[in-house]
Amino acid sequence: MNAKRLRFIDKAFISALFSLLIFGLVILRSASIGISSDPFFYLKKQVLIILLGLALAILIVRYDYSQFRRFSPILYGISILLLLTVLIWGTEIRGTTGWIGLGSLPMVQPAEFTKVLLILAFAEFLNRRKGELDTLSDMLPCFLFMGIPFLLIIFQPDLGTALVYIAITLVMMFAAGANSKVLIQVIIFAVLLIALCLYLHFQFGMWLPLEDYQLKRLTIFLDPYNDGQGGRGMGWNTIQSLVAIGSGGLTGKGLFQGTQVQLNFLPEHHTDFIYAVIGEELGFLGAAFVIICYGILLIRAIIIASNSKELFGSLLVLGITAMWLFHVFESIGMSIGLMPITGIPLPFLSYGGSSMLANLIAVGLILSVNVRGKKIVF
Amino acid sequence: MQTTGFIVRKRIATLFFFFVIIFLLLGSRVFWVQFVKGAELSEKALQNRMRDVPVESKRGIIYDRNGNELAISVSADSVYAIPAEVCSKGQQKEIAAKLAQVLEMDEESLLRRISRNSSFEWVKRQIDPEKSKVIRKMDLPGIGLTEESRRYYPKGTLASHVLGIAGVDNNGLEGVDFYYDKLVGGTKGRIIIEHDAVNRPIPEATHKFIPPVDGANLILTIDETIQYIAEREVDKVFNERKAKSAAAIIMDVSTGEILALASRPTFDPNDFSAYAVSNRRNYGINDSYEPGSTMKITTAAMALQEGVVNAESRFYCPGYIKVGKEVIGCPDRKPHGSQSFAQTIEKSCNVAFIQIGLELGLENYYKYLKAFGFGQKTGIDLPGEAEGILIPRASAQQIELATMAMGQANAVTPIQLLTAVGAVANEGKLMKPHLLKQVIDDKGNVIKKVEPQVVRQVISPETARELCGMLEGEVVNGTGRNAYLEGYKVAGKTGTAQKVGPDGRYMSNEHVASFVGFAPADQPRLLGIVVVDAPKGYPYYGGWVAAPAFREILNDSFKYLEIPRYNSGKDGQSIEQKEQLIVPDVVNLPVSEASSLIKARGLRVEIDGSGTVVWQQTPRAHTKVERDSEVIIHLSPFEGGKEGAEVTIPDLQGKSMKEVARILADLGLHLVPEGYGLAYQQLPEAGKVVSSGSSIKVKFQPVGE
Repeated sequence: MNAKRLRFIDKAFISALFSLLIFGLVILRSASIGISSDPFFYLKKQVLIILLGLALAILIVRYDYSQFRRFSPILYGISILLLLTVLIWGTEIRGTTGWIGLGSLPMVQPAEFTKVLLILAFAEFLNRRKGELDTLSDMLPCFLFMGIPFLLIIFQPDLGTALVYIAITLVMMFAAGANSKVLIQVIIFAVLLIALCLYLHFQFGMWLPLEDYQLKRLTIFLDPYNDGQGGRGMGWNTIQSLVAIGSGGLTGKGLFQGTQVQLNFLPEHHTDFIYAVIGEELGFLGAAFVIICYGILLIRAIIIASNSKELFGSLLVLGITAMWLFHVFESIGMSIGLMPITGIPLPFLSYGGSSMLANLIAVGLILSVNVRGKKIVF
Repeated sequence: MQTTGFIVRKRIATLFFFFVIIFLLLGSRVFWVQFVKGAELSEKALQNRMRDVPVESKRGIIYDRNGNELAISVSADSVYAIPAEVCSKGQQKEIAAKLAQVLEMDEESLLRRISRNSSFEWVKRQIDPEKSKVIRKMDLPGIGLTEESRRYYPKGTLASHVLGIAGVDNNGLEGVDFYYDKLVGGTKGRIIIEHDAVNRPIPEATHKFIPPVDGANLILTIDETIQYIAEREVDKVFNERKAKSAAAIIMDVSTGEILALASRPTFDPNDFSAYAVSNRRNYGINDSYEPGSTMKITTAAMALQEGVVNAESRFYCPGYIKVGKEVIGCPDRKPHGSQSFAQTIEKSCNVAFIQIGLELGLENYYKYLKAFGFGQKTGIDLPGEAEGILIPRASAQQIELATMAMGQANAVTPIQLLTAVGAVANEGKLMKPHLLKQVIDDKGNVIKKVEPQVVRQVISPETARELCGMLEGEVVNGTGRNAYLEGYKVAGKTGTAQKVGPDGRYMSNEHVASFVGFAPADQPRLLGIVVVDAPKGYPYYGGWVAAPAFREILNDSFKYLEIPRYNSGKDGQSIEQKEQLIVPDVVNLPVSEASSLIKARGLRVEIDGSGTVVWQQTPRAHTKVERDSEVIIHLSPFEGGKEGAEVTIPDLQGKSMKEVARILADLGLHLVPEGYGLAYQQLPEAGKVVSSGSSIKVKFQPVGE
């Protein structure tokens, strides 16, 4: 690769990324202090993963992303295989069979990686069909293409991640020029279908891959105290997260001082609820800082996408952007009572090897598009 | 690619706005949660994790007016457990066993308590110092000791109704300790134990200690010595007469300060649970009774003030008076005849007071009742003061006015009557009774001082002074003689009221005997009331039951206060002890004979009841009494025909046949007369005991023969 091209690298994007990574390590130090006998245990692991991820990203930047187009069927095949493998041999953690371990290696969540792999594959899939997304029959292959991995995720079941797939699919198809009328009709149809399924389920006991408590969990955020146990049941997480953020005020209670976090009122605070930790300990300033960083990161990514020389690059970047956006919206949203509690991590902030590694690989892909894009940047 | 590129760029721009909207949505929601809902959620975060353990503040000391300690605080250690720490090493069983042995508690229930899923548990409160030392030495994990303060009343039952009690949590429950709880109780401190989501206390942040603020010290108006005297006297009359309740209150006339307030039955506030709850009632404050004749003081005050009567007014008492359709009378319808106003007070003549009351009229009477403070709380600083019960103005008619004027129909509390009479003693000014004199801090600095408070001028100073003189006469010559104090001018009034039974009628066998008075009459210092509810035995009159107790209290209090006696001058020996005389035996003697016999001994006679022969006498024969003491002879028509009743034959010599016939009939004997004129011989002779129904032969002869 031409070393000169590195000068085109998007510095705002890089700055936002590193801000988030460093900020994430700081907050992880505070959020993980009480959950292991070694207070640095989680921090050390996270730092290692970040270093590994950054190394992978650098490797990928050097590699021309358009070369992936050739491998897209293989990547798709690997994705489906991984998801099948985890469904059959995976380990169940908190109700979701999403983990797989190989001997003494740390457990991984294949779904985190398949997201990136599928974006690559789907970008090429759409690239091939450019301009042929006007009718429903044009679109059906696309839905089928992403529907298979979607269903495999649903069967884990991991609703949060499944929803990410939908977001990715819709955004990428929209960007690829799909007929937006049809797209909207499809969305409305899907919503109605889901409503019908739920109706049949509750009225006639139709089988659904989700347990009743999982369904209930999706709506409890609207009225968390109405969980039959006065907020001590399913509503607990939403309530404790809201209390954490709400009690943070402008500047927060200070690192290590968040009572909701440090006294374990807030569950999963080093992973899914990391944003509540930020809100409580660093206040509105910390919380707003994170949102601004993501804002910069994603908007720069969109600009990179629009500056791509070819459609594949644009779709690849937009797919990743859609993935991140949905993660950010869902993870922050559930912390502030805007979205149901579905455990998905906050990119670059939540503790978790698979997610971090997958996201840094995605960073590598975006930058690869970036350095190979048009010179003019608007 | 060009065309699609254009579409893609357009689509990307749309997505750009979509992204911006999503971020604005997130940002504004975060803003709303943190700033709009912030305060509410912060409160929730606090509630989530804080467990308060109260730490008792030390109650202030309560002193009497001379600085004697009446209530103090002693500290004792209490044992608590922090279950999470107790169980942290799995040694809870051993810990429970060790604790159970020292504290003499059941091991199993103790184990259950110290391993409970909570952040804090009391194991045992206020333990002995030796035990606390042992536990301190054992140094068991998760077991701690904290100092708790506990109320102690060093004088036991003394003034217990005034001081009140403090409960296990060191909070005032009754008396001054309750009334001034905020002042004397201080502010409780707290041990704040922060705990986490599963109720485990947090190792570092725990045991935040907010020290308690100790209570202020109170100086009461009570004088320990006078209180002691009052307790002694009220105790005596309560026990001797097996009364239901009794109370004595002594007040400083010019300030309204309560110097003593004793109530019976009593209790020891250090061990109050060992006594019946009813013992804790303060009879002087919490209960009302029909005051009887003591109320005539206020009726007299009204009449004098309104000019209805004056010192020269004269009254005639035929023994009864008709009010509307009802007939009300003096005891036994005994006529008092013609009397001055002062004499109507001395003799406590109902008829005269009914006349006075009717002349005053309902309007006036109610105006003054209110002015004297009846039917309202006096505002004394004790909890649960009763208001008394007045007949509602609207339903009061002439008959009610008549009975009110003589002291029946309305109910008052002892403290109400005391303050009302206090207005007479204090130149017409009604003072607010109070118990708190000063509030001081630990260094003795005065934080608050209670000034005497004049509630209102009820009657003019002239009226008050005039009435004082008359009330002194009451004690010198009237029913209140037993309150007479050698060397002091005592003014006062007795009262004996029948009690209303459960059926709403007056009971013939239960009375409230009372005396209210003050001294010295010309310059009143002390004001007191003694009320005895349902004294047993005879006589039950206020003058006999309450007045002596009042006299003793005042006598000893005056000695203690070194109030000089006046020199009566006349014989110069009035300061000396009075001559001791022996009461003659007058039982079964005719009235006239008994009277002259008693008078001849240098004693006074008080006749009670109707009849011709003495049925019973008080004091009994052969007891020693002071000169001028009163002997009551109770007359009762003999219930003739009672088989086997023994009768001592009276001396009938010199009596007319008519008289003899009546005397013998009263005794249940038959007269067998012989001759006419006056009796000069009888058989059996006088002094012989015969059974009733016997015949007595009496010979009569004409006079001058």
